[in-house]
Amino acid sequence: MRKGALKKKQRQLEELHLDRREALGELVLGMFVQGSWDDSLLARGAAEVSEVETELKSIVAGDVTDVSELESAEHDFPVTGEYTAEHAYPVTGEYTAEHSLPDTGEHTAEHSLPATGEHSDERTTPTPAPPAADETAVQKLPKTPPAKPKAEPKPAQPKVVPAPVPPSATAPAPTPEPVSKQATPAPAAKETPKPAAKADAPAPATSASPADAAKPAVATPPAAPELTPLEKISARLEESESKAKAAAEAAKASINADSKTELSVITREVENDQKKLDETLKAAAASIAAAEERADKAEAKLARESAASREAAAGWVRSQAAEIEADAALAAEIASPQSESAVPPPGGAKTEPDAATAAQIAKLEADLAAEKASKAEAISNAEARLKQIQESARQAEERVAAAEKAAASTAAIAAETPAKPGTPKESAEAEAESREAAVNWLRGQIAAMRHELSKDDATPVPPKPKGDS
Amino acid sequence: MGLFSKGGQSGRERRAMKDHLDELDELRRTSLGELGEMTVQMADAGRFDRAALSEKATQVVSIDREADLIARGLEEGLTLEELEDLARREDEPGTDPGVSGSNPRR
Repeated sequence: MRKGALKKKQRQLEELHLDRREALGELVLGMFVQGSWDDSLLARGAAEVSEVETELKSIVAGDVTDVSELESAEHDFPVTGEYTAEHAYPVTGEYTAEHSLPDTGEHTAEHSLPATGEHSDERTTPTPAPPAADETAVQKLPKTPPAKPKAEPKPAQPKVVPAPVPPSATAPAPTPEPVSKQATPAPAAKETPKPAAKADAPAPATSASPADAAKPAVATPPAAPELTPLEKISARLEESESKAKAAAEAAKASINADSKTELSVITREVENDQKKLDETLKAAAASIAAAEERADKAEAKLARESAASREAAAGWVRSQAAEIEADAALAAEIASPQSESAVPPPGGAKTEPDAATAAQIAKLEADLAAEKASKAEAISNAEARLKQIQESARQAEERVAAAEKAAASTAAIAAETPAKPGTPKESAEAEAESREAAVNWLRGQIAAMRHELSKDDATPVPPKPKGDS
Repeated sequence: MGLFSKGGQSGRERRAMKDHLDELDELRRTSLGELGEMTVQMADAGRFDRAALSEKATQVVSIDREADLIARGLEEGLTLEELEDLARREDEPGTDPGVSGSNPRR
């Protein structure tokens, strides 16, 4: 039976795997057609497929010896493959299998059980039993003592459950209160240490999904007397499973809400920080702009003040110049009436001729000084001229002496040699005549100069020294 | 016209179209499974290659289009030749075969 259940489970998982893959493909196709990709949704779908794939692999590898060990998620989804996330149990958990059953419970197996206790074995069936003995658990069930305490929840209760039974019409019946109390803690105790990622498939596995279990319960009328203890246990387990699922869904929802809240808080903080940063940047920019504006104003003010000071300095200088000019004009005005008033002295006949005389004297002195200067200049010029003349006379005398000497030599040469008639004699005479003319001219010059000098010396020049001549 | 013909469509053509439609359905499921598997692999790798996903999705879309065409041929009783003409008109850009005389017999 266990092998058959495993094979069936494997088959179901394979179908579920295919269906989920196709559903994921449909999801991708929808995103492609709509042009809006959602990576998180893709990741979720891929995780669901991976989950089934993992379970399938574990079954194929033989790691799972009991179907109840699987945390199969196929209970969440119908086998038809039209599963999407919204097909899972509602977050509120209000839908479970027992909702599809009448509240009256008149057809449930529990109600059909007599209170005599002969069927109390079923109520106490979730007794702890070794996992290896699960195959014989059903056979041992009647042998268990009926006096076991009812309120004793056992953690290993689901593992005692035999292989899943195909859903019968009467299986998912609501259990009476004591039984449900007894059965509920077991899956919950098993479920609490599970991670939240598995929250969508937390319950211990049975072969049939709750949806499958619920459908026949609604469709066909219950046949209470035909309930077997196994079916009752199965029903109880399904009920507890559904409750655990509801709790898990609620936990998942709360986790999602918490994460969303946390994310929103972080996002809000980031936005606030960003706003503060923007405001700070704006304030800094405004202060920088204000500082630049103040600097421009100060620069313009400085330029204006410097121009004004320059202008003021120029005005002061002009005013000073004007004042000086005014003072000079005033001084001139003051000075001119004094000179005019000084000309006609009231009664001094002696002073008038003295001034004129003094002026004339001064003028004469000036003229005299100028004349003296001119005379001194003329004298110096004459001295230079005289020296020049004396020099030239000396040179002329030297030339004359040289010519005489040359003439004497030529005469001597001529005397020695037979003289030719005419030419030497004539040349000597010409030379003598030229020399005589030069000497005469020089003598006349010297006489003229001496006469001029003598005439200059005759004029009265008291302080001036006379020339060297 | 055969006994089971519908419009200008013979029974053989109708059967062939149904078979082809079944093939397309199977191909679509296979492609969707491959697309899902590809997505799972990308999720494991931590990165979704949208170009590859789009390429695969384009194949599925083309399968869908062909299936729609075949379904339309079955529904309207088109012959294979008419269906081929319709497909060619669909391939031409700027034409709407659904409007411009999809079934000349009607």
